[in-house]
Amino acid sequence: MAAAAATAASKGNGGGGGRAGAGEASSSRKKKGPGPLATAYLVIYNVVMTAGWLVIAVGLVRAYLAKGSYHSLYYSIEKPLKFFQTGALLEILHCAIGIVPSSVVLTSFQVMSRVFLIWAVTHSVKEVQSEDSVLLFVIAWTITEIIRYSFYTFSLLNHLPYLIKWARYTLFIVLYPMGVSGELLTIYAALPFVRQAGLYSISLPNKYNFSFDYYAFLILIMISYIPIFPQLYFHMIHQRRKILSHTEEHKKFE
Amino acid sequence: MKHYEVEILDAKTREKLCFLDKVEPQATIAEIKNLFTKTHPQWYPARQSLRLDPKGKSLKDEDVLQKLPVGTTATLYFRDLGAQISWVTVFLTEYAGPLFIYLLFYFRVPFIYGHKYDFTSSRHTVVHLACICHSFHYIKRLLETLFVHRFSHGTMPLRNIFKNCTYYWGFAAWMAYYINHPLYTPPTYGAQQVKLALAIFVICQLGNFSIHMALRDLRPAGSKTRKIPYPTKNPFTWLFLLVSCPNYTYEVGSWIGFAIMTQCLPVALFSLVGFTQMTIWAKGKHRSYLKEFRDYPPLRMPIIPFLL
Repeated sequence: MAAAAATAASKGNGGGGGRAGAGEASSSRKKKGPGPLATAYLVIYNVVMTAGWLVIAVGLVRAYLAKGSYHSLYYSIEKPLKFFQTGALLEILHCAIGIVPSSVVLTSFQVMSRVFLIWAVTHSVKEVQSEDSVLLFVIAWTITEIIRYSFYTFSLLNHLPYLIKWARYTLFIVLYPMGVSGELLTIYAALPFVRQAGLYSISLPNKYNFSFDYYAFLILIMISYIPIFPQLYFHMIHQRRKILSHTEEHKKFE
Repeated sequence: MKHYEVEILDAKTREKLCFLDKVEPQATIAEIKNLFTKTHPQWYPARQSLRLDPKGKSLKDEDVLQKLPVGTTATLYFRDLGAQISWVTVFLTEYAGPLFIYLLFYFRVPFIYGHKYDFTSSRHTVVHLACICHSFHYIKRLLETLFVHRFSHGTMPLRNIFKNCTYYWGFAAWMAYYINHPLYTPPTYGAQQVKLALAIFVICQLGNFSIHMALRDLRPAGSKTRKIPYPTKNPFTWLFLLVSCPNYTYEVGSWIGFAIMTQCLPVALFSLVGFTQMTIWAKGKHRSYLKEFRDYPPLRMPIIPFLL
């Protein structure tokens, strides 16, 4: 869902690093965009993020060629993955200060779910780092983010190649389910180790009269994918129809 | 006397929904809403929003037709506010839940804790005290809803009752589970801590009640007048000198007292969430006061003296 969410809910247009609001096509926007300084910053931000995820992509390919197998590639891109995915927290700030016209709540949800998977699951439960499911979501995220950040970069510069727009609104059809599968399988793989180590859990009695069972929490997270993923997925499908067909009609004017 | 004609159009589709002729010039919007309900019974007055402009603000029930900027044929736009439920109903439901739910945990009703604990009683005094305080708090709220508060609006959207009840009932269950747990750990500083916290709780409950009474006395029964609240002879109301919404200040204080008394993290979290919500409300109320009253006391802050 972290995979789904990040591609989802972002629609159309030069909304910088953000996930712009419903149904805006490439032309009519009544709001003025970010000022020139903010635009420059956002272009730099999106270029850096595109570059970062390209580094991760290249890292994966090189590691695969060097090792001769696709197992345990996580270790070769662990640091840039953590750095650039965590860096996406800035996007919440962008929405909060208004240089990106997206909902702070939605963006927070999307970014936090990614950060949760990276740190609270994959980093925290070392035993899952060699699972193939990790590769599944890393690949899905990498392709998604390279396209997404280049989409924003081009949009901010008012020169969006149709190919990028097409890619953004089409590849998700495969990348979403792929990412979600990777995420769910990874969380599932982590469960026994969490239970065994009592990871991030606290039980009674204690002086704060509080308890938390991380194992149960992870299961709730997995269950939450059931209502959330279809909504995000079909929302993107709906957006795709709107945005790509709209462009078809206007293609002759571009 | 010249009669008015009123046509009501749908704000979104501009479809003509209703035409009223021979409307008295002194008719109020409330009366027009009643007339509209006759032709469209599914839209009872509480769910009607009538406005002069499709995107404009709702007209008030007390507004008089003659005083509106309309010709003798007035065009009003209608928006359906959705199913409505009365504030009193919502308050009673959302407060009765915690009262009842907490007691289920206090009496250790079966299937909550292990079977060997069914219907047992805690050996800690503070647990019994906490039950009394929590129950008192919600009984007070229920009684205030029935006898003290004078509501500006009759109704709110129906979906609010689900949202509100989930919040109140959910947190009540969560807190009650730990406080009444067989493995509950009493406060670190013992009786001293409990006494101090209880004092805070009681003072804030009295304060909160005093403010509710003061606000009630500002408004005559059945009216919707709004006035600036001022301190009265009751010392608890002197907090009005420093804040716009001392009722919220006292409410937060009560829950902080309860948190210290029980030394229970979920209670602290509940207080924090409540504080966040009340701050949003207090800021809104403060802004309304400033907008409506030119001579509003400048020293006042919304909820925390001098700070917030």
